[in-house]
Amino acid sequence: MHSRPPGKIGQPVIRVDQLGIAYETRQGLVHAVREVSFEIHRGETLGLVGESGCGKSTVAYGLVNYLGRNGRIVRGEIQFQGQSLVGRSEEELRRLRGDQISMVFQDPMTSLNPVMPVGEQMAEVLTVHRAMPKDEARTRCLEMLRRVYMPDPAKVLERYPHQISGGQQQRVVIAMALLNNPALLVMDEPTTALDVTVEAAVLDLIADLRRDFDTAILFISHNLGVIARVSNRVGVMYAGELVELAAVDELFADPRHPYTQGLLRCLPRLGRSKASSLLHPIRGRVPAPDRLPPGCVFEPRCDYARQACRAERPALRALRPGHHTRCLFSDEIDAAAWAPPADEGRPAVADSRPAAAGGDPPAPILNVAGLKTYYRHPSASPLGVLGLGQTDYVKAVDNVSFAVPKGRTLGIVGESGCGKSTLIKTLIGLESPSGGRADFIGFDINRRVSQRDLAIIRELQMVFQNPDATMNPSYTVGQQIERPLRRFKIVPPAQVHAEVVRLLRAVKLDEHYYDRFPRQLSGGEKQRIGIARAFAGRPDLVLCDEPVSALDVSVQAAVLNLLMEIQREQNTTMLFISHDLSVVRFLSDDVAVMYLGQIVEIGPAEAIYAPPYHPYTESLLAAVPIPDPTVEQEPIRLEGSVPSPLHPPSGCRFHTRCPRRNLLPAGGQICETTEPPWQEAGGGHRLYCHIPLETLRGLAPVVKAQA
Amino acid sequence: MLVKDYMTRHPILIEPRKHVTDAQRVMTEAGIRHLPVVGDGKRLLGLVTRQRLAIQPHQLASLDVWEITRYLADLTVADVMVKGPDLHTISPDATLEEAADVMIRHKISGLPVVEAPGNIVVGILTETDLLIELQDLLGAVDAGWRVVMRVPDRPGEFRKLVRAIGDKGWGIMAMGSVRTPKDPKHWDLILKVRWCGREELLDVLRGIPDQEIVDLRETRPPAAGPAAG
Ligand SMILES: Nc1ncnc2c1ncn2[C@@H]1O[C@H](COP(=O)(O)OP(=O)(O)OP(=O)(O)O)[C@@H](O)[C@H]1O
Ligand code: SF4
Ligand code: SF4
Ligand SMILES: [Mg+2]
Repeated sequence: MHSRPPGKIGQPVIRVDQLGIAYETRQGLVHAVREVSFEIHRGETLGLVGESGCGKSTVAYGLVNYLGRNGRIVRGEIQFQGQSLVGRSEEELRRLRGDQISMVFQDPMTSLNPVMPVGEQMAEVLTVHRAMPKDEARTRCLEMLRRVYMPDPAKVLERYPHQISGGQQQRVVIAMALLNNPALLVMDEPTTALDVTVEAAVLDLIADLRRDFDTAILFISHNLGVIARVSNRVGVMYAGELVELAAVDELFADPRHPYTQGLLRCLPRLGRSKASSLLHPIRGRVPAPDRLPPGCVFEPRCDYARQACRAERPALRALRPGHHTRCLFSDEIDAAAWAPPADEGRPAVADSRPAAAGGDPPAPILNVAGLKTYYRHPSASPLGVLGLGQTDYVKAVDNVSFAVPKGRTLGIVGESGCGKSTLIKTLIGLESPSGGRADFIGFDINRRVSQRDLAIIRELQMVFQNPDATMNPSYTVGQQIERPLRRFKIVPPAQVHAEVVRLLRAVKLDEHYYDRFPRQLSGGEKQRIGIARAFAGRPDLVLCDEPVSALDVSVQAAVLNLLMEIQREQNTTMLFISHDLSVVRFLSDDVAVMYLGQIVEIGPAEAIYAPPYHPYTESLLAAVPIPDPTVEQEPIRLEGSVPSPLHPPSGCRFHTRCPRRNLLPAGGQICETTEPPWQEAGGGHRLYCHIPLETLRGLAPVVKAQA
Repeated sequence: MLVKDYMTRHPILIEPRKHVTDAQRVMTEAGIRHLPVVGDGKRLLGLVTRQRLAIQPHQLASLDVWEITRYLADLTVADVMVKGPDLHTISPDATLEEAADVMIRHKISGLPVVEAPGNIVVGILTETDLLIELQDLLGAVDAGWRVVMRVPDRPGEFRKLVRAIGDKGWGIMAMGSVRTPKDPKHWDLILKVRWCGREELLDVLRGIPDQEIVDLRETRPPAAGPAAG
């Protein structure tokens, strides 16, 4: 009913003009952010996206002069509510941060005091600053916790931060940030540490709050899907500069800067299957701020670069009202006409499943039946200490069964704490199973790695999330890869060097890397070495635990392509864990969905991503942030977080959060008492739920692309 | 139609120690006429208005150009702001009528919106916001027929009119009533009707006994407003 158009009226809350920020380092002044300009109005969210090190956080901290001892604003102007922030006294800025600007960071614990109950620290914002009476403050805090959809807010007030989940901590921080009704809210990767289901709920919350409180929000994320979901306008940062700025729909539908176009091309999409696509990574990597190319900063990686691009640094200019780009040729570049450069790699490869319809699938190479991995939990009761009480077990993996045929990739998805990593650790022999059976090419692998045959160790390799953890910093790259070659006697000693070089080439690194040390490598390069090492012994089975989640999207694309390529060449079998459902879709032939230590759905990838879904799979798909603002997803949101695996819920473990149990008689009472049956949906697709398949088949797909 | 739905949230604020020239610049650049003055925690201390920034004529006569400049340079926001009993405010939960009443009684054009306890500034409400409400109230933002009917001051007239239109299945999107100026025995009812043609609407209105059509015209949304659905 309100006729006033949102935002845009009057002055922006914040206006940043030609901002330059530099850090004092031993090498001299490093200009981490250059010529950044934007404004944000009331009730508007500006998303800032870009790869690691592009200066997003520096901009955020620069706004409130949180730059640390060695950082400072060297150029430009920041106007907040019509008044300049540059050159204000520390005291004035402190007041502003308390009263009118709030910040939310990736790790909620940076904003929470671990030794103070949540209620007390929230109330402090009001009692100390505003001299509000204690009980009034408490009422306000309670109200605000309700406002951020906190379950059981009164109890949460009494708890200490470590007694609530990560998603709840982040809600507390957001509630606290809003207590002062700030005009500007700066959020730096506020959902990056959260599970997709929790992230989705927090993003909904942020959108609601912007509307209801008319707050101007600067929202920073490296995730284009998240940015697409929360922003009104988006700024893309590259190497310290804003290279494109446009309304969210326009940016995704018609990106005009080659970097933005490249970013969008290297994302795996939910709709793209393993058979249909190759990702297109952007070649090269982001230059360090002290080693910028002379002209356009993107020139060394740009497919459209020409002489003019090397001669001058383009300025950010308006292509049309509201759409700005920092490219000389934005008007003529046609993203639709883009074709991958000839040297990028092979075209899409055929489906890797050797046995198509009709034929027998190859025999399973890995057979897991009823596998259990329990961790002993020190019992809280005094009897436990005496060894008399019942011992509690964390049932991290509980009765898991599946088989993987040779040459196929099984993707495993689920929220954090659902047991994905424990499952893989058990298979590789880092944990001992408490029950069940796992055999791999006929060998029982129920033993710890220290008791396993060398032959099995060789055939079973692993790629880790954090390549640093597994690399000896004092060995060169060459030495790291040589080790498995010698140990497993893959090639005669005289050929080891040549084999290392071959492997380096296979992961798209040249010979020069042989003598480099890990510290001289970027994250993506380290992960390639990790892959080269894992595949060095030509193992039959490679287990990957979140191998790309620490990488930037352009690097992630290259690593994913690489994994897929080597796997196909060597016909390796893979188990691939990821929290990212788009990545899993891209890489996997089959997918297993885990919840609280159990597999709840398993089958061919295309079957998992279409109805009938297990209700948990459905909720995951509804939550995935999709980098396309025109795609609609069913508004299905999970309440709360994963229950403790110490005392998993009875019956179906998902019953405490299941949004679909009301499809069953009596609101799904049976789910609380009785374990669901495995239902066969055909083609090897099975799901673990009481709801009849017919009903599940009738539900709409959760992800709808706009026609 | 409460103050909190129509106020501008997060108004530009200023601190009392700032120079008057700062206030002047902020107000000119932002095009605003009211600048709430706040202390720690956004507590309201006063209000700077355009009038308060103008130099009073009696001072003007006694100062030369240089003195004026110096006089201005020394002046702080605290020196010129409206404060004490002259400072009027409104609560975010008050109705717009209440706000309008305060503004009319004290002949002021804007009110800081403050929250108790602590008088925390949460918004500002100005004449413009009230005009926006009036515009909304009269349905000016959507296309349709604007009808004014003069009806006798007695029960049941309102219902007659609404029913006549409702029976046809047409939509009433806005409605208001005022006592007819200079005629205490009648009320003027204004309403905005849509989904019908002019002639059929006239037919229906003419058929209502004891009611007189004062005015009927087609209205379109103002150019800047959102497009009609
Ligand atoms: N305190 C510091 N001293 C020196 N250089 C710094 C400092 N903080 C950041 N930098 C450099 O400034 C550049 C921008 O870093 P910034 O943290 O702003 O990037 P970002 O876009 O937020 O990255 P991420 O996505 O990894 O959070 C990087 O090259 C970084 O190494
Ligand atoms: S200016 Fe040249 S190098 Fe830079 S993005 Fe545009 S085309 Fe590429
Ligand atoms: S068994 Fe019941 S609680 Fe479990 S997923 Fe199915 S409907 Fe939901
Ligand atoms: Mg950052």
